[in-house]
Amino acid sequence: MPLAGSLDIGSLLEGAPNVTLDDREVRIDDVEILQVLYEVRATDIEGMVPPALNPTIPPVVSFLAYRAADSEFGPFSLVQTRLTARAAVRPRAFLVSARCDNPAAAEALAGSFGFRIEPGEIRLQKFHDRVDCRVTADRRTILEVALVDPEPITGHDIQYAPGMHLARVHDDDGTRPRLVQVDSEYEFRRADRGRPELRTFDASAWGDARLVPTEAVSASFTACDVTIPPVRYICNPDIPAAEGTQNVGDAQSHA
Amino acid sequence: MEFGVFMELSVPRPWTAESERQVYANALEQVRLADELGFDYVWAVEHHFLEEYSHCSAPDLFLTACAMQTKRIRVGHGVVACVPQYQSPIRIAERAAALDILSGGRLELGTGRSATWTELGGFRANPDETKKTWDEFVRVIPKMWTQERFSWQGRAFSMPERAVLPKPIQKPHPPMWVAVTSPGTEFDAADRGLGCLGLTPGGFQESERKIKGYRARVESCEPVGEFVNNKVSTINFLSCAEDGDRARKAGLRVASIFSYMASQLLSAKEVLPTRSYPSEGLLPALRREKGGPGDAAQGFKGVTMGTPDDVAAAIRQWEAVGYDGINFFVNFMEVLPQQYILDSMRLFAREVMPQFKDPAQQPVPVGAD
Repeated sequence: MPLAGSLDIGSLLEGAPNVTLDDREVRIDDVEILQVLYEVRATDIEGMVPPALNPTIPPVVSFLAYRAADSEFGPFSLVQTRLTARAAVRPRAFLVSARCDNPAAAEALAGSFGFRIEPGEIRLQKFHDRVDCRVTADRRTILEVALVDPEPITGHDIQYAPGMHLARVHDDDGTRPRLVQVDSEYEFRRADRGRPELRTFDASAWGDARLVPTEAVSASFTACDVTIPPVRYICNPDIPAAEGTQNVGDAQSHA
Repeated sequence: MEFGVFMELSVPRPWTAESERQVYANALEQVRLADELGFDYVWAVEHHFLEEYSHCSAPDLFLTACAMQTKRIRVGHGVVACVPQYQSPIRIAERAAALDILSGGRLELGTGRSATWTELGGFRANPDETKKTWDEFVRVIPKMWTQERFSWQGRAFSMPERAVLPKPIQKPHPPMWVAVTSPGTEFDAADRGLGCLGLTPGGFQESERKIKGYRARVESCEPVGEFVNNKVSTINFLSCAEDGDRARKAGLRVASIFSYMASQLLSAKEVLPTRSYPSEGLLPALRREKGGPGDAAQGFKGVTMGTPDDVAAAIRQWEAVGYDGINFFVNFMEVLPQQYILDSMRLFAREVMPQFKDPAQQPVPVGAD
């Protein structure tokens, strides 16, 4: 059987967001998204994803940066560090952690969708020859990634895997650790790809010092509208996703 | 109809010093039996770095062992990767010709280009280029076989005039195929006079449409080699037993674990925005067909699992769609005991195969008068 995650959930729960499942939907128009993918060192990879998920071969980290010119929370930027994974046979990305520069957006995304967010200053800049993203926290640069030499492609060529966010989920039955599945939808208006570049990555600042990027894979930059629909699935992080995935309606009715 | 066995050489964890040797030994025993029973082909994949899923990175060596232990079954690359970072087309032509000689003219050369980032990234190959390099490789390989001396100035590959040796003993050269997973590759096959080695378990209607398109187009093709191979084959899971429920249960275990393991691979399309891979290869087809790891083949129509009558009925459906042959997975990740597989193959050969074969072509069973 494939490698399975063995991440100690208990160790992560302390910083995990509290989620109340509701029918909240967030729509953000005119978002620019930079995604930079790097392979990461496979040593200890099982220990970096929960038992519900299988790491991919090779494991890949995704740096996913959003810049929203406006939203119901005002303008904001969000950068996620995610690990490619599988929930049974489905492609997923396990959220290691995220940084956001807008407290209202951070609170909403954490409370409804389980984004594990800390504050950070984010600068996402598009030039004709490159797209740069820099994240600073506590006056230290913790991430610098870029797409170099953009060339146009179509949105059909882009894939963003649904996120799996570890959270404490509240319902009538109490509070349980769960992976919240976030199936964001994208309407693309423009897409570019280019050469990925990673200049700075402070793995400890993103929550897992074992995360060591090794090989560049790809970079893309898109302009799109993003909809984050209400959460449909949650998953027990401690057992394989095929056994532990629940439809939210079922989870609530059984609670 | 022609029948084959398809070898991935998957090796489940935990790995011991004996794991790979045992998987290879079991596969060779299956191939020896397939030869005795009248199966037409053994195919071996070329995969690299695919932990557990496939430890068959040197298929020509495995196929040589198959050839040395058998008398009549044809040995096929299913498929050799036409990616320059993996190997030069010179080496493909040389090694394939040697295998053709050693097998007594039983080689089939399937061609392809890999679909996973795991493999392409491992060789630092550019996924944007693989369709182009495949095209160049399939044009030059038959020329290396048929021309005494050969030279080439191409896009991905060039060489000064040299004799590429040895030459295959099949004349004008061994049949050539291409793996068909991405939509439209059947037309690539037709335009070049290559056989379609289907690796995706599609539906009947989709298959019929693809085959019709292929047949229409191959009529007017300009073959890359000296002749047209217009055969079209598909892939399936074989589990045949008198107890149909037992056979289906066993076959579904193989299909389920195959689907599960295939889904763990990192497709090129998933991590790299590229038009070179319009689909993810085998993976999306499997994902479409299933909702969870326990029901891989539930929605896959025409599975060749069950009693001999069930299996024959399924094959008739594929035959009606237009396929010339079916290649079978008989095991995966060693989930079924070797004895079950051998019994399943024997029952299939005794009860099902004769329904689809000209009696004159049937082999005489070992020990028969």
